[in-house]
Amino acid sequence: MGVPYIPVRGLAGTDVFARRTDMMIVHNPFDPDEKTVVAMAINPDVAICHAIKADRWGNAILRRGGDELLISQASAKVIVTAEEIVDQVTEDDPDGLFISALNVTAVVHAPHGAHPAGVPGMYEMDRDHIKEYIAASRSDETFQAYLEKYVMGKTEAEYQALVTRPAVVAVDGV
Amino acid sequence: MTDRYNTDELLAVLMSRHIDDFDTVACGAISMLPASAILLAEATHAPNIDVIIRGSDVYGVGMGRDMHFLAQRGKLDMFFLSGVQFDGEGNLNLHVIGDPDAPDRRFPGGYGSGLLAYTAKKLMLFRTEHSLRTFVPKVDFVSAALKTDPTITRMKQQIWLFTPKAILRWDDGLQRYVLLSYHRGTTPADVQAATGFELLIQPDVAETPEPTDEELRTLRTTVKKRMIETGTYAQWAENAFLPA
Repeated sequence: MGVPYIPVRGLAGTDVFARRTDMMIVHNPFDPDEKTVVAMAINPDVAICHAIKADRWGNAILRRGGDELLISQASAKVIVTAEEIVDQVTEDDPDGLFISALNVTAVVHAPHGAHPAGVPGMYEMDRDHIKEYIAASRSDETFQAYLEKYVMGKTEAEYQALVTRPAVVAVDGV
Repeated sequence: MTDRYNTDELLAVLMSRHIDDFDTVACGAISMLPASAILLAEATHAPNIDVIIRGSDVYGVGMGRDMHFLAQRGKLDMFFLSGVQFDGEGNLNLHVIGDPDAPDRRFPGGYGSGLLAYTAKKLMLFRTEHSLRTFVPKVDFVSAALKTDPTITRMKQQIWLFTPKAILRWDDGLQRYVLLSYHRGTTPADVQAATGFELLIQPDVAETPEPTDEELRTLRTTVKKRMIETGTYAQWAENAFLPA
């Protein structure tokens, strides 16, 4: 949207305002008797979104119901990772939500790139891996061990070789 | 408490009685008790309610944004909220126990609660433990507030708080909790003794009508089946209720 802040109905009376500087309560400029919460815009330098498919120009199909389009439109640079690179992605693709190449900086072919999350219609989330991640996140030491095992110094191929390939969802069994 | 029903069944039945037919009724993503209360109401006295259950495979799928916008426009009739602590000022805590900078315990927090606490027209608060550690003089962190400054637009609300011991009502004029009724097996004095703030207790306060056999039977059969069939906390529904 490119706006500096947005009014929000909610959170008044809570301790959130004492602990954050990106939300505050201000006068409604159109009604001096009313106050409203406003939230500062969040504009990430880079957004990374995983797509079901993309074309070489950066047009892509995202899952429906997510916030990736909104996040992309707020970010300075957008990297789309995609399960599949196809000749051309069009706006009327029935598999998901279209994002125009106008919003996208770069495209990366990344099969199973959502792991340990899933991709609707393609593969399920890896629940065992997510449980391992949650268990590891209980302390700095165990989380560091998780990062050493799966992330630090690992290539994408090495990561994929370390984890179980998620089960493929039947074509009509979304 | 009796051996006729467990705490979850008691709260589901009592909350379901407060659901009015034709209302738009919603609950969040980890809301097993509200979901069972809503589906019990739908199966009994409120067959025409519009239902949004965020943790369901069937009820209100993809309606998250709709639900919040409905609430912001004052068109969400009822929402359910719980928290780790409640206080006599009408605050709920879903964030931390202890010092927020060095918490003893950290909870998921909640943006939605801080919104829905003043936009849903009927607010159903509930807590499965009624004790001095859950009903405290002052919460450790205010995640949602029943009191807001008069300059903030707030829906005209009805607010209840359901516990294993009692039903409390938030009196907007008095800005405090009133004991609406106490459950079988407890007394107004017991309820007050388990509450870390002062309740307004009228001398003629009544006992809560117990769950009826019919309500319990419907919960354990129709509602349980419906929850399992619709992917509405199916695993929870398998084990939550006593045998029909």
